[in-house]
Amino acid sequence: MDSCLSLRGFTTETQRAQTKRNNMSEYAVRITRLNYTYPDGTKALEAIDLDVRTGERMALVGPSGAGKSTLLLHLNGVLTGNGTVRILGQALDPKNLREIRRQVGVVFQDPNDQLFCPTVYEDVAFGPLNLSVPEEEIPRRVERALRDVGLDQSIRNRPSHHLSLGERKRVAIATVLSMEPAILALDEPTSNLDPRNRRHLIELIAALPATLLIATHDLEFVLALCSRTVLMDRGKIWADGETSSLLQDSALMEAHGLEVPLSLRGCK
Amino acid sequence: MRHNFIDRYANLDSPLHILEARTKLLAFTALIVAVLWIPAGNDFAFFAYFFLTAILMGTSQIPLMYIVGRTLVILPFIVLASVAAPWKGIAGLSVLFLRSILCLMLLIMLTNTTRFVELLRGLRKLGCPRILVLNLSFLYRYLFVLTEEVLRMRQARDCRRVCRGPMRGELKLLGSMLGTLLIRSFERAERMYQAMLSRGYSGEFQVLAPRKFTWRDLAFLAGVAFVIFVTFWSGQIAKVWTRVLA
Amino acid sequence: MHIPDGFLTNRIAVSLDAVSAAGILYSAGRVKLEEAGRKVPMMGVLAAFVFAAQMLNFPILGGTSGHLIGGALLAILLGPMAAFLTMATVVIAQALFLQDGGLIAAGANIFNIGAVTTFGGYAVFRLLGGARNTGRIPAVAGFFAGWVSLLLSAATCALQMALSGAIPLRVGLTAMVGYHAIIGIVEGGLTASVLTFLARVRPDLVDSNSKTRLGIADWIGTLVLVALPCAILALAGGSELPDPLEKLLSVDHAAEQIVDPQKLTSAGRFGGYFVRSVLFVVLIGVAYLASRLARWKRSRS
Repeated sequence: MDSCLSLRGFTTETQRAQTKRNNMSEYAVRITRLNYTYPDGTKALEAIDLDVRTGERMALVGPSGAGKSTLLLHLNGVLTGNGTVRILGQALDPKNLREIRRQVGVVFQDPNDQLFCPTVYEDVAFGPLNLSVPEEEIPRRVERALRDVGLDQSIRNRPSHHLSLGERKRVAIATVLSMEPAILALDEPTSNLDPRNRRHLIELIAALPATLLIATHDLEFVLALCSRTVLMDRGKIWADGETSSLLQDSALMEAHGLEVPLSLRGCK
Repeated sequence: MRHNFIDRYANLDSPLHILEARTKLLAFTALIVAVLWIPAGNDFAFFAYFFLTAILMGTSQIPLMYIVGRTLVILPFIVLASVAAPWKGIAGLSVLFLRSILCLMLLIMLTNTTRFVELLRGLRKLGCPRILVLNLSFLYRYLFVLTEEVLRMRQARDCRRVCRGPMRGELKLLGSMLGTLLIRSFERAERMYQAMLSRGYSGEFQVLAPRKFTWRDLAFLAGVAFVIFVTFWSGQIAKVWTRVLA
Repeated sequence: MHIPDGFLTNRIAVSLDAVSAAGILYSAGRVKLEEAGRKVPMMGVLAAFVFAAQMLNFPILGGTSGHLIGGALLAILLGPMAAFLTMATVVIAQALFLQDGGLIAAGANIFNIGAVTTFGGYAVFRLLGGARNTGRIPAVAGFFAGWVSLLLSAATCALQMALSGAIPLRVGLTAMVGYHAIIGIVEGGLTASVLTFLARVRPDLVDSNSKTRLGIADWIGTLVLVALPCAILALAGGSELPDPLEKLLSVDHAAEQIVDPQKLTSAGRFGGYFVRSVLFVVLIGVAYLASRLARWKRSRS
């Protein structure tokens, strides 16, 4: 059922359009002194300062409850805290939220939360429809998005509850890709996936041209894809730097409930 | 996956399946209303509607056993009615029986020849409030997710239970199962709302291009209207006919 | 308890259709004004929840089983108007998916299962002080809200059936209300235990409703919506006035023949009916088979 398209070394139209857009501003995301407290009073984010360059691939690691998902939700204004969040140069503001959401695609951890239309086609078309993409353009966007995630076009008319988890995860990414965002935020993309699907997902994400922010526990994945890693714990950033050197620091890792990934343990 | 109890046959290919949702909604509703208005003694009308329903059933390609099985649901009600009001007589009960069976069969055909998505679109185009249509569409989608969750919870419960406890204990257990399910539903709704916002949802529910209204739809509606006309004016027509012949 | 088509007289069914439609339009308008965006996914998910919960059967004494309604619980958690819309969604979905309840009878079903349980249950809950206090009172209030909501719902259903002449009032009331008084204990018990559970685990969900206070306009609207159908039922059900639609179609009631069982048993008459019935069945069978077997070429467009 899974169509296994090899995605490495094959540029899509989406990629070419994206690279053009990305080159226009240097910093995709600039967050300054962001604080956020939950309605029940718990502090979720404390004085977060983060800058992400255009085209960069950044990983967000940390123990559960560190605030990674909460941070991602601030990128498109779903949650608003105290502090400034600038996306592609623009500060978040109720007036430009629509444009921001066009540019920032957030993929949640559980695909079931994002697949709420009766068929795959409608789910993937939901984003462009809301962004007032002209009616004729929509089938093309859906086709491209499905192709980019390596799914066969025949999946279009199937209801999402008939799909396997791996397929659902890919459709969830497609629902965001169809909006052609410049920035992609992924929350635990490889969780619950079997090895084959996980490998496919890694390949597909590797081929995406957008600026990537990935919150994950899968440290091997981080090593494979992300040049930069940020460590979060209890709502604060504790480390920010080059991936392999950060992940090799066993004292740092263990202090924050993580472990040095297996592939790095030999090389000390 | 046991999700097929809802629109199992909606994806077949038949002259009825091809029609637009609005056509079927209007036509079948009109037929159901017409059946409910047939006066008790008008045998010809009952026959005509059964005949028409049989033709529609055949054309729709839906398996006969399925329709019959669904229709049998009515029986307990009819038994109840006959036990409760024996003085109505065979005539009264048979009218009740015939009417309910016809209406039920027509309803089964309406829902099984139309994909749920299309049905909702048809309802919206006919003026149904947006919130209701939205609710129905979320209900449809989330029913499947919830059914899976309920099954899983039941399995978990059965794994940890040796025998059925006293009623009070059962109730408490059911209560916490339902409560947990409720909380999960709320939390899922919150996440779903966040996902919708992230994809640009601003309160308006956009609909993709629907099936086109073709000559077939018009012909079907005309046919149904004709049958209704004929059966209701059958009395007059018969009178005119006998006068013409005399 | 979902009434199929054909059991209610047309007058009653249609007037309840009108009442339910008005109720839906009104609630749809009202819910829109509040945080509509937030509420819609919640209502949809809860509709699925209630739909699924209503399919769970639990055994009662000796072989019969009952099932939940959930209207009172929903009204306590969401507020009666949003709860009404959610329950209306569920009833419509049950009619469409499971053919549980007829199409024209949907108005009556929405009224019984959607309006009466939610508004009635909510009223009982507030009257018993459930919204204001903490401790055991919300649980007790919740129990009675659930129990009474089922009783009221069964009563209106029996009333409608009686006025339609389908089931006489005394029989209907004792049967339906009696049966639901027993099931109601489970419904009340579950409402109470779910409320207690939620108060412990997610108190914000239970409290949120105290903020949505119903205004005077809403209470007046509710009273009208409740009084109106009662008035209509009382007038229409027992009325000797001719049905305007029947008048339009020139239906002649005098020409109806009531079948006399004695006449039936006399051989000749019986033979006639038998032949006609057989012919009836045969012709219909032929019609069905012919259309089923007809090969239909999909026209290429």
